[in-house]
Amino acid sequence: MKRWIKGMRDAFFNNLFKAAKKDKDILLLTADTGAICHDQFKKELPQQYVNVGIAEQNMIGLAAGLVLAGKIVYVYGIIPFVTMRCYEQIRIDLCCMNLAVNIIGIGAGLDYSTLGATHHATEDIALMRALPQMTIYSPADSLTAGTLAKRNYEQTGPVYIRLDRTGLPLVYKSEKDIDFGKGFSVFGQDKDLYIIATGRMVYIALQVVKKMCFKSISAGVIDLFRIKPLNAGMLWDAIKKAKYIVALEEHFVNGGIGDMLAALLAIKKNHPRFKAMGIPDKFCSKYGTREYLLSLFELNVDSIAFNIENWVFNKN
Amino acid sequence: MEKKNFNELKIKSDNLIAFKKKARQIRRKVLDMAIGAGAGHIGPSFSCVEILVALYYGGFLRTKFKDYKWENRDRFILSKGHAALSLYAILADRGILTLSDLDCFASKGGRISCLPENSTCGIEAFTGSLGHGLSIGAGIAFGAKLNKKNILTAVLLGDGECHEGSVWEAAIFASQHRLGNLVAIIDHNGLSATGILKDYLDIEPLKDKWEAFGWDSIVVDGHSFGEILPALKAALQRRVNKPLVIIALTTKGKGVSFMENNPIWHYRVPKEKEIIIAKKELNK
Repeated sequence: MKRWIKGMRDAFFNNLFKAAKKDKDILLLTADTGAICHDQFKKELPQQYVNVGIAEQNMIGLAAGLVLAGKIVYVYGIIPFVTMRCYEQIRIDLCCMNLAVNIIGIGAGLDYSTLGATHHATEDIALMRALPQMTIYSPADSLTAGTLAKRNYEQTGPVYIRLDRTGLPLVYKSEKDIDFGKGFSVFGQDKDLYIIATGRMVYIALQVVKKMCFKSISAGVIDLFRIKPLNAGMLWDAIKKAKYIVALEEHFVNGGIGDMLAALLAIKKNHPRFKAMGIPDKFCSKYGTREYLLSLFELNVDSIAFNIENWVFNKN
Repeated sequence: MEKKNFNELKIKSDNLIAFKKKARQIRRKVLDMAIGAGAGHIGPSFSCVEILVALYYGGFLRTKFKDYKWENRDRFILSKGHAALSLYAILADRGILTLSDLDCFASKGGRISCLPENSTCGIEAFTGSLGHGLSIGAGIAFGAKLNKKNILTAVLLGDGECHEGSVWEAAIFASQHRLGNLVAIIDHNGLSATGILKDYLDIEPLKDKWEAFGWDSIVVDGHSFGEILPALKAALQRRVNKPLVIIALTTKGKGVSFMENNPIWHYRVPKEKEIIIAKKELNK
């Protein structure tokens, strides 16, 4: 593995930097949120890197104006600040006007576990899902994140990418295994149970499935890396023969992929039984490692496996 | 870039009578549209007519008459989007909107409404919500500077709009990045939707505030072409790496006596007797 690939952020911005070296119209805007992987931008492409200051609303408006002036724009920040502080600007300046700005958020879920609820990304999927014209990517690993940076500026409308500071171990062996046409990947064909997960929960889901492989039920994982637009038809084809579907996300249960998948299934005449797992509807008031917080919300491997088996076999 | 004026509807700068005539014509059209639709912000639209007429007919927005999407055009953003009535009347005069568009203003499934939200109509940004336009304008100006293009971006804001924090975020940025190709024009009528600014959230001293944020400033009588035109000329010709604000002292509802300085005319359509008086006064 290349030494520079640490997390998703490094993978993404390393590839974006390569693209920006060839295309002077690519600009990276940040609202006073730094990263080591931005250093090469600042040093070698100073004309293409702009710290707009702690002013997220202005950052989005500027991004819209820069796209109107012919630039290709990426804005970066910690997820709650880059999605919520400037939500109206995203809604109107980007979505109503359908301008191709790439919003790169860092700190999915409880990634910033020691900084508290102000820095947790627990509602961002719900908010971005509500916006017409918005495309949402939630990569499962650094390879996916890096590939997005290579493909991303082909988009014609606004895009939100939910990055994690982690990204290893990798979920995919090769870029070719990531089907960007479909927007999701299936790990294990014709299974009784699928965990449809997003972000780093995909890796956790794969561990859960390994734990469950000794039981009488076969289980697989679907990596939903493009949350919007949802490829509803193909996703349904992939899961319709299963008996159980679990949605798993590091996000509030309100308005995330759980709600989205429930709506998808509810209109079908016959559908698998469904359970949504995520962060309960309350802000986290404890601090610690991410693993510690996830275990508090029963989103660690053992708790997830236990709860799924309980649900399946006790038929709650 | 060739600094040629392509605006075929240009009025000569010394022909103040023609400018005033055009302003009255635009006000009459605004009134007709609002009455026809039973909707519209007449007061706010009237207070900036002279500013808009000066911009569009004074040759300060260099563009191509037949190609309003020409990439090297100067840009205008109506950040106080609720003055859209006046802008539409001018865009129709320029042939970008049709008379049918004006007929269907805010009604009959038309493509224009009380707030500018349709980019096919010569509108550069969607500005129904206040506080957005200056950031977008700063982005365009910054992009033009990076691209080394001689493009002026003008943004018209309301004075109440200056309550929005986002306006000042854009102001700091514009000063930091020396956007001498950005002009903010403040339609300073002293009123907002609910009343008089001084009574509930005074923004004075406005000129001092903008200067403190690193902008050059000019204060003009917002209804005097004799003052607006030279200010806009200065904006176009200056070669200074500082953004410019033109603070235009205006009267909300200007042109119709019972509307002037009256907050209730922020969003209100006149009734029969009022229509008669208004039309009489605008036809003088």
